[in-house]
Amino acid sequence: MFFLKEETKTISVHPSNFGPEMRNLIVGQLNAEEEGRCTGDHFVISVMDMVDVGEGRVIPSNGNAEYTIKYRAIIWKPFRGETVDAIVTSVKATGIFTMAGPLSVFIARKNIPSDIKWEPNTVPPQYTDHADQVIERGTSLRLKILGVKPDVMAINAIGTIKEDFLGPL
Amino acid sequence: MGLAAASEVDPISKVFDGERSGNVQTPTAQLRDNLAPGFHKFRRPPSLLCLQIFFRNPPFPNLFLPCLSLHSVRPILQLQLFDMSNFLNQDFGSEDEDEDFNPVPVAGSDDEDAKPAKEDGDDTGALTHEGDAEAEDEKDEKHNDAEDDEEEEDDDDEEEDEEEEEVVRIKQSKKRARNSLTLVGVKNRPRKRRRGGVHNFFEEEAGVDEEEDEAEDEEDELAEFGTEMHPDDLDALPAGAETDDRRHRQLDRQRELDATMDAEKQAQMLKERYGRNRAAATDALVIPKRLLLPSVEDPSIWGARCKPGKEREVVFNIQKRIQERPAHSRNPLRILSAFERGNVMQGWFYVEAQRQPDVIAGLDQLNHYFPSRGLTLIPVKDMPDLLRVRKSEELHPGGWVRVARGKYKGDLAQIEEVETNGLTVTVRIVPRLDYGMNEDDNALAPGADVKRKRATNKFRPPQRLFSEAEAKKKHAKHLSATSGLRGKSWNYMNDNYEDGFLIKDMRLNHLTTKNVNPRLEEVTMFARGSEDGTANLDLAALADTMKKSTASDSYQPGDPVEVYRGEQQGLVGRAESTRGDIVSLRVTEGELSGHLIDAPVLTLRKRFREGDHVKVIGGSRFQNELGMVVEVKDDNVTILSDSTMEEITVFSKDLRLSGDTDAAASKGPSYTGQCRLHDLLQLDNSTVGCAIKVERDRIQVLDQHGSVRDCTRSQVINIIKRDSYKAVDADGAEITVGETIKEPLGEKRKGEIIYIYRGIVFAIDKERVENGGVWVTRAINTRSSQPAGGRELPSLDKPNPQIMNQQLKNNYASPIAMPSTGGRDRLVGQTVSIRRGPLKGLLGRVPYANEKLACVEFVSGKKPVMIPREDLLPRDPITNQPIHNFGGRGRGSRVPFGSSTAPPRRDGWQGGRTPMAAPDSSRTPAWAGASSSRTPAWGSSMSGSRTPAWKNDGSRTSNPYDAGNRTAYGGGNRTPAWNTGSRTPFAGAGGDDAFVTGSRTPAWGAGNRTPAWGSLASAQDQRDFDDAPTPGGYSAPTPGGYAAPTPGASAPTPGAWGADVPTPGAFNAPTPGGLPKRSGYDAPTPAAYDAPTPAMGGAAATPGAGYGDEYSAPQYEENTPSP
Repeated sequence: MFFLKEETKTISVHPSNFGPEMRNLIVGQLNAEEEGRCTGDHFVISVMDMVDVGEGRVIPSNGNAEYTIKYRAIIWKPFRGETVDAIVTSVKATGIFTMAGPLSVFIARKNIPSDIKWEPNTVPPQYTDHADQVIERGTSLRLKILGVKPDVMAINAIGTIKEDFLGPL
Repeated sequence: MGLAAASEVDPISKVFDGERSGNVQTPTAQLRDNLAPGFHKFRRPPSLLCLQIFFRNPPFPNLFLPCLSLHSVRPILQLQLFDMSNFLNQDFGSEDEDEDFNPVPVAGSDDEDAKPAKEDGDDTGALTHEGDAEAEDEKDEKHNDAEDDEEEEDDDDEEEDEEEEEVVRIKQSKKRARNSLTLVGVKNRPRKRRRGGVHNFFEEEAGVDEEEDEAEDEEDELAEFGTEMHPDDLDALPAGAETDDRRHRQLDRQRELDATMDAEKQAQMLKERYGRNRAAATDALVIPKRLLLPSVEDPSIWGARCKPGKEREVVFNIQKRIQERPAHSRNPLRILSAFERGNVMQGWFYVEAQRQPDVIAGLDQLNHYFPSRGLTLIPVKDMPDLLRVRKSEELHPGGWVRVARGKYKGDLAQIEEVETNGLTVTVRIVPRLDYGMNEDDNALAPGADVKRKRATNKFRPPQRLFSEAEAKKKHAKHLSATSGLRGKSWNYMNDNYEDGFLIKDMRLNHLTTKNVNPRLEEVTMFARGSEDGTANLDLAALADTMKKSTASDSYQPGDPVEVYRGEQQGLVGRAESTRGDIVSLRVTEGELSGHLIDAPVLTLRKRFREGDHVKVIGGSRFQNELGMVVEVKDDNVTILSDSTMEEITVFSKDLRLSGDTDAAASKGPSYTGQCRLHDLLQLDNSTVGCAIKVERDRIQVLDQHGSVRDCTRSQVINIIKRDSYKAVDADGAEITVGETIKEPLGEKRKGEIIYIYRGIVFAIDKERVENGGVWVTRAINTRSSQPAGGRELPSLDKPNPQIMNQQLKNNYASPIAMPSTGGRDRLVGQTVSIRRGPLKGLLGRVPYANEKLACVEFVSGKKPVMIPREDLLPRDPITNQPIHNFGGRGRGSRVPFGSSTAPPRRDGWQGGRTPMAAPDSSRTPAWAGASSSRTPAWGSSMSGSRTPAWKNDGSRTSNPYDAGNRTAYGGGNRTPAWNTGSRTPFAGAGGDDAFVTGSRTPAWGAGNRTPAWGSLASAQDQRDFDDAPTPGGYSAPTPGGYAAPTPGASAPTPGAWGADVPTPGAFNAPTPGGLPKRSGYDAPTPAAYDAPTPAMGGAAATPGAGYGDEYSAPQYEENTPSP
C-alpha cells in the first residue's frame, strides 16, 4: 500500500559545499539518497516535497554543517494479502521469481494452480496450462502477497496465484 | 406426589424386603450403583421411568388429576433433591421397630425405583421419622387403605406375590413449617379398608403444591377443598370424596375445552409441560459425588478368584444365575452385583452382597470360580477405586505402535485395524524374512524345523519388503496368492502379505503403545509407492503418535496455538505458560477473548498462517531452517526454506515464529552451533568449501573445485571468517566480496560474491536451485557486472571536489605551499612506549628509524631493539603522556607514523618529482621523460624499497592474487615503477598516490582514509583507473601500488589534506567537463591519472591497447591537449 509519509533526515554538508547553491545540493543529495531506498519495512518511492529544510548547524569538530530536513515521501509498504502486478524475472522448477516494482516476490510451486504445470523442456522454460496461460520470463502476473519478510535493507515476499483472478495478465 | 405415584408401580412396592430391613441399603449406595460406570447391573434400571410411566398413563386419573396438576411434580422432585442431605441425616428407625414390623423375606427385592432414597427410607417401616409421625398415625392408616385401593386396581398380580406392601410418601409438614421430608413407610395390611387415607394424601400433596407457589387458581381450589367438605363425610368418606364429582366435572370440562382447542396449541401446551418435566428429571440426576460414596451401611464387596482370563465369563454366569433365580423365586440369589476389572486384576472378580454366606451360596458350583482361594472383603474406602474407570489408550488405524515380543520385537508397526473389542489389533509390519535361505536343506518338515530353529537360529533377517520372487525360490509350496479388495496379497508361511508388508493380528498386550517414538527412517519404510518417499506418509497419525511421547516444551510462551479437539475445540490463543502437559493459553479470538484457559497438550497444535516467517526447531532434520509458510494443512505446515528455496513439510509443533528481531532471521541463513549456512569452511589443508546445507549432524559443502561433498561437523577444521579478499576478474578489474559478477563464458552464471579464496570465487544466486544457489569458479573466469560507479553516492559531507580542484590549481600556482616531505624523521629522538607485543609498555628513545622499523633504546637499559613503527606510541619526554597527534594527526605534520616515510634517498626524488608530476600541462613532457628514464631507475630503487613494504601489509600476506594477478596484468609495461613513483611518500605525489592506493589497497579501506580519500577510493575510481588508456601502465602497478603505501595510509588525515592541498599538482587537470558522466567529485580522479596517460601512452606506445573502455576515450581526449 502506498503512503505519504513525513520523515526527517539529517544531512551533513562539508564546508567546501557552502554557497548559494547549497539548497539545491541538499535537495539533490536527499533525492539521491532517499529515493529508491528500502528500509526493510518499506520502499521510498519518491520524495514529494520538502516540508522544512531548516537551518544548518555547524558541527564544532569538523566544520560540517548539519541540516535536519523534514520531507514528505511516497512510500510503498507491501502487506500480506495485497494484490500486485509483477513481472516474472525467472522461472524455476521450485517456483516463479517475480519483481513487483522494487519488491521481489517468489511464488512457490504450492501456490501455483495445479493445472499450470512446469515445462522445463520449452525454450525458455515456462509454466503453462497448455492453453492460454503461459508464464515465462517477462510475463506480467497478477499475484497476491502471502507473506512479507523484512530483511536488513531488503524485503522478500512470497505470493500466490492460486486464486481467482490471479495469474498471467 | 411423584413418590406416591411411584409407589403404584410394582418395583417400588417390592423394595421392601426382609433382608434389607435388617441391613439397610442406604440410598447413596443404590444411587452409586445406578451411576457407577461399567457396573453389571442386575436390578431394574432406576427409575424415573416409573414416574414417566405414571405421568403418561395416570393410573388413577380420577383420584389424582383433579387435585394435582402435573405442574406440581417438578417442584416436588426438586424438593427431594434439596432435602437429600437432610434426609440422609435422619435416623432410620430402631431395631425393635423393625421387629414389630415382622419382616418377611421377599423375593424380588432387587427392584430399584426412581427415588431410591425415598424408597429405602421406607424400609424402616411404617414410621414417620420426624416428630410428627405419631400425630399422624391415624391418618397413616387411612392413607394405607387408599393406597391399597389403587394398587389393587393396577397391579394385581404383583401384589399377589407379596405379602406386604409399603408406601412411600413424602409429606411436607406445613404445620411445622419445615422443609424436611417426612417419610412414611406403611406396612400394608391385607386389603380391607379402602377409605380414609386418600383424602389425607391429597391434602398433603396439595400442601406441597401450595408451598411451591403453584398457579393461583389451584391454590384457591385447595382452599375450598378443605372447607367444602361435607361434615358427615369427614370421617366416613375419603376426604374429598364429595368434591370428587366436582373435580370430575371440572376435568370433563377441561377435556372438552382441550378437545376444542387447536391441536397445535394443545401440542404446545403438552410439550411445555412434559418438556419441563424432563428437564427436571435430568436435573435430578446430578447429585454431589461425595454423597454417592459407599459407607459401612452399604452392602459389602468381596473379591473372589477365578481362572485368569475367565473373569468376564464368570460375571456373565452370575448374571445368568440371577436371571434363573430371581429375587422372588424360591431360592433367590442374594448377590446384588458382580463385576470384574479385566486385565488390571487378572483372576479376580468382585461380588456385592449383604453377607458373606450370600456370596458363598451364590457362587457355589460356578464355572471357573476357585472357592478354595477364599473371599477377600474389600474395605469400604477401597470400593470406589474398584469402580474407577481408567480410560484405555485409544488406538486409531494409521497410528504407530511397537511390537513387544517375538520375531519383530522392537519393530515399528502401523495399526491397520482395531478390533471392536479393543484387544486385537491388526498391524502392518515390514517383514523380516529369510525365505528359507538359512534353512538347512536337509531339514525335515517345517513343523519339525520350527523348534530347532528357535533354539539355534539367532540370526534376525533385516527388514525388507516381502518379495514373492524370493519366496518362490525355496518356499513356493508355502506361498499362495489371494486377491482381496485391496489388491493382490500373498499368503506365505501362514502369514498375509500386502504390498510387501506383513499384515498380522496381534494382541494388544503384545504391542507397546506408549513412547513409540517412530523414527523417520523407520516411518519412511512404510511409505508405499510414493514418488518422494514421504508424501504418502500419514503425517497426522505420525504427529499424533509423536505427541504422546513428546514433552510439552515445544510450546513456549507466545506461541500461537489452536485447540483442535476436545470441548474447547476451535479456540485460538497464545500460549502463556506450560506446566506438565497443560498449556495455559490466552484466548485471542471469539467470545472468550482475553480469558486464560488451560488445555492439555494433546488437544493443541500450533497455528500458523500462510506467509508467516518461521523457524524449524527440534525434532525434524530440518532443524534451524528458516522459511516462510506456504501451506498449512492441519498439523502439517509446508514452508519455503529461505536458504534453499525448497519446500519442506514439517509438523507445526516443530515450528516457531521467527521474530523479526531474531538475529538469525535478519541474517537470512540459518545456523546450527558453530557452522552456519554459507560459511566458508576449511576441510583440510588444500580444501575449502562453502556450506550449502547445514543439518543437525551433516554439512553439505561445495568445495573449491565445484564438487559437493558431505561432511560431519568434526571434519571441519576451521571456519574462515575473513572476507577482505579481493581478486581480479577477466578484465583485470578488481572484484570484492559483495560484488555482482557473471560468467562471460561457460554456464553464464551470475551471482553475488560471498567469498574469495585464493583466486577462487564463491558466489550465490538465489534464483539458482542447485547447491542452494551457490556456485564456485576461478575469479579469472568471471566478469564484474557491477555498473561502474555502483551505488556510491556523492556525499555532501566530503569536500566538494570542484572546490578542491580549484584549490589544487591555486596551490599549484604557489609552490611555496608544497609540503616539505623530506627532512628528519620526526620519530627519531622521540620518547616512545611500546604498544603491543612482548615488550608492551616499555619506555624508550628512538635513536634512528627507517620506513618501517624504529630502533628503540629502552630506558631500562635493555638492548636496543628494532620495532615496527606502528607499535610505538610517542610520549612526551617529560610528562610521559602519550602524544596522540604526533605526526600523522597534526596538521602539516607530514610524516605519519608507520607510513612509508620517505627514506632519505627517496626524498630527493620526491622533491624533485612533485613539480613534474603536479603541473598538468607542463608536466606531461616531464612525465614522459621521467617515466621513460625513470622506469629502470625505479625498478631498481623502488623495488628495493617496496619489497618490505609489501610484506608489511599484514592482511595480505598470503596474497591470493600473488600469482594470478600479476600474471593477469601480465604486461611488461606494467612496471611497478610507475606506481611506486607516484606513490612516494605523500602529498606531493598525493594526487596520484592517493588515488592509486586508495582505490586498490584493502588496507586503505581499513578506515584510515579521510573523507577525502574515501571519495577517491571508490570502486568506481578504480574502475576508471583500470580502464584507463594504458592498461599495462596502470594495472601493473596495482599490486605494488597499494602495497607500499599502506602503512603510510594512516597518515593523511584530513588535516594533512588541507595542508597538502598545494602539493597535489596531481589534481591538476580536473577539467570537469572532461568527465561528462561523472559528477564533480570524480573529476580529480581521472585527472590524476589521465594526466600522465598521454605520457605513459606515449611511452608505452600502445595507446590503443587499453582504450576499449567507453570512459577512457573522452578522458583521453580531454586530457591530451596538454602535450
